[in-house]
Amino acid sequence: MGEFKVHRVRFFEYMPTAIRAMSFNAHTERLALARVDGSVEVFNFADRYFQEKVIPGKDAHSIEALCWVGGRLFSAGLHGEITEYDLENLRPKYSLEAYGGPIWTIISNPQGTHVIGCEDGTVKLFEVLAEGVQFERNLDRQKGRIISLSWHPSGTRIAAGMMDMIRVFDVLTGHAIQRLLVDRSVGGCKSRETVVWTVVFLSDHTIFSSDSAGKVQVWDGHTGTLVKTHQLTKWDVLALSDESSVVAGTSEGTVVQFQFIAPNLQQQEKEWVRTRTFKNHTHDVRALVEIGTAIVSGGMDTQLVVRPLLEKFEEKCFASGLRRIHFPHRNLVSCAQKARLLLLQFPGQLELWRLGESDGHGKPGDILPLKTKPEKLLYLKRKGKDHICCSALSSCGGWLAYSTVSSVRLYRLQTDNNISITKVPKLPKVLRSAHQLCFSSESSYLFAASSQSSVLVISLNQSECKYVHTLKPKSGMWILIYRLCVAVDGKWLATANSDCEVHVYNLQKLELHCMVPMYSSCPSAMGIHPTTNNLTMVHADQQIFEFSIAEKQYTVWSRKLQMQGLHNLWLNRDTPVTHVTFNPKNPDQILLHDMYMFCIIDQSLPLPDQKTQFYNQMTLRSLSEQERPSHLHAFKVCKSFQDLMCMRLLDDQSLVVVERPLMAINSQLPAPVRQKKFAT
Amino acid sequence: NKKALLPPPPLNSSARSRICIQILPMEIYHGNASSKKVNCAKITKEFQLHLDSSDDDGPEEVTFEDSKTSALRSMKEALETTKREKELLKEKRRKRQELFQKQKVGQLNKLGFSKNVKLHKKKKTNISNPFCSRLKGNYSVMRVATQSATKSQQQTAMDFIQSRLYGPGSQRTTTNQLLSLQNKRGQNKSAAVQFVNEKWAKAEQMTKRWIHKQKVPSN
Repeated sequence: MGEFKVHRVRFFEYMPTAIRAMSFNAHTERLALARVDGSVEVFNFADRYFQEKVIPGKDAHSIEALCWVGGRLFSAGLHGEITEYDLENLRPKYSLEAYGGPIWTIISNPQGTHVIGCEDGTVKLFEVLAEGVQFERNLDRQKGRIISLSWHPSGTRIAAGMMDMIRVFDVLTGHAIQRLLVDRSVGGCKSRETVVWTVVFLSDHTIFSSDSAGKVQVWDGHTGTLVKTHQLTKWDVLALSDESSVVAGTSEGTVVQFQFIAPNLQQQEKEWVRTRTFKNHTHDVRALVEIGTAIVSGGMDTQLVVRPLLEKFEEKCFASGLRRIHFPHRNLVSCAQKARLLLLQFPGQLELWRLGESDGHGKPGDILPLKTKPEKLLYLKRKGKDHICCSALSSCGGWLAYSTVSSVRLYRLQTDNNISITKVPKLPKVLRSAHQLCFSSESSYLFAASSQSSVLVISLNQSECKYVHTLKPKSGMWILIYRLCVAVDGKWLATANSDCEVHVYNLQKLELHCMVPMYSSCPSAMGIHPTTNNLTMVHADQQIFEFSIAEKQYTVWSRKLQMQGLHNLWLNRDTPVTHVTFNPKNPDQILLHDMYMFCIIDQSLPLPDQKTQFYNQMTLRSLSEQERPSHLHAFKVCKSFQDLMCMRLLDDQSLVVVERPLMAINSQLPAPVRQKKFAT
Repeated sequence: NKKALLPPPPLNSSARSRICIQILPMEIYHGNASSKKVNCAKITKEFQLHLDSSDDDGPEEVTFEDSKTSALRSMKEALETTKREKELLKEKRRKRQELFQKQKVGQLNKLGFSKNVKLHKKKKTNISNPFCSRLKGNYSVMRVATQSATKSQQQTAMDFIQSRLYGPGSQRTTTNQLLSLQNKRGQNKSAAVQFVNEKWAKAEQMTKRWIHKQKVPSN
């Protein structure tokens, strides 16, 4: 492997926010997820649950519910507005005030045209038009807040969950035709009203309701009578979802499935029976979606859990394993390799740290004493209410840039003796917001992936900047660019968009050079080699390709790798690779990392086949010097550093690994429910 | 709350034999200095009379009318004193209020209404209510931030959900507890996380304090 001094950084206090709402678009196989801080994420369930898009939130703008209408995404929250998102430019397109107070839920009609917003007492119908959303009418106003809604699949009836009751509305007349009374909690406090957190209206007019008393109740929607009560927990049952079965999520962190089956073999009649219980969360489950083959749940413990339903799979494959998604699939840490600085991105601020130094030497595994401690140089709070969506630090440490959905800010830094930061005034008008920011290696240019799938080239000079050019692909379609990388020599720029296309631009001529052959999975990380100018791409499905930019074709090594095939243990990894970098001193090495490991691929060594021991670093250490060469293979994986957010190679040949232990995140989560266990 | 003035105790034979100084209720009144003096004078008078009379004489006759009138008098005096005190308090309060008003105007002047006051000096406008004064020149009143009704509604909604999930009756605990349970019931039993890991102790304390705060309903 070679010896590296490793800066083990644990001062990045990254804290994800709780998941509040989810919505699955079965047509495009995308899952939209809303967090408590107002940010929206879109996961591609057809491409290894890759986090394709992240729309940052806004202060005091929480989201209560999300829904898809065709390919359009809408959200509503306690601020009383319905927001539609522009998914190609990663920003809210517009917000419509619903004039009814805080909105608790928004759901769309199976026919795909109506979107309901629901507030303190009224159920409002909105029509979804091509250019926006338009208010249609109100249904009968009720006394008391309406917490949840569900359409009947035919679109003629709506069930509304309120306090202590459920109302069924007839959509045509707008009148409430049924009133189903929900019992208050048994024992406990009878004086507290029961909140019906979710309702589900099935096509045979069965209504499922979940409430704060811990019950899931089955009602007959025609007669308005209670069919069955299932007491799940003492605490609230916060989420319900239906597809082929009904799934309920509780405050305890359990997910319970109900299926419509015959309880005995002899009986022909089917009824709703509680079948499975999954306990995948430690805290409340607040969002739940059943997607046919799996149950996706999320809640206050901030992780997204995909639990496949094993009866839908015939053989063991990637999709049949339990998945937990903790960290975002992009970089929140920028590193200035020359200046040894780290820029940590939070939604509300940026922190600039200088790494510590150590003179010591030691054996592998030793902890070296620090000569100077790492110090926080700068705490830069963002201006305005919008959260930060991306940030970048130049390699020399002299420039810092960040972007929100409404503005981009560029700063000139000085970090030698006196720390000083000056804002660069008068940015070019075209630079309004960016999804990705990247500095060139000598800090002479800033590249910004902006709206309308264009990349803006801005030249930097002393303490001012000038707009140079806009790079655009040939097709007129606007597709989001989510990855950018620049060659070290400043000649080439590669972009990846959410249609899995990778374009390479010639920066000297400022035009499109070529497009990499299409591959079905999106690249999760890209890097351009400093000397050979080969573009290395690692995709969401863990495939690795190396493309020679000068020759416009895959390299020999890449073809060899594809012929051999990657080892199964590599392909079955849980998390995508988020960064690719290179070692200037050793041109054969490619360094990359995901959440649980970092790996150095040595192109001069033979590739492993399926029978080779993949994780062989420990074995190699135990072998003698003579035996080692025959057991070496190209993939050198190190798992000593875990819950990695970032790994970089500094100019002085030392590695920086930024770890964020999951235990540290768990210690700061909100309060879970108290469970009394016997003998504790 | 002042007690009614008690009539002075009748002078009897026991009082003859010894000099007794009684601290009569009227002495602890914070009333008018003048009334105090009168009372003092009365005492000394009676005291002196007392001293003048010889040991052999019989007790002085105190008629019913006398004691009745003195009792009524003392009651009247008590009422008058209380009335006077109330008046005094009112006066004090009124003076305080005026002082505050003056200070308020002073502050407003500092903030920039000074030009207006200068303009209106000749007109002698009522300074006690500066918000009513007309603004001359190019001044306009502008709200810095609008606290709309939606914000308060939003706050109520957020409070509702917070109190339902974390408020009284929700039986919450700390993450430390949850993980400690795992430690205690797991394969290799170990102590609670707050003892295993120092940083947890502080987080545990803060979460407990937060839960307790949620349980006390703020309304």
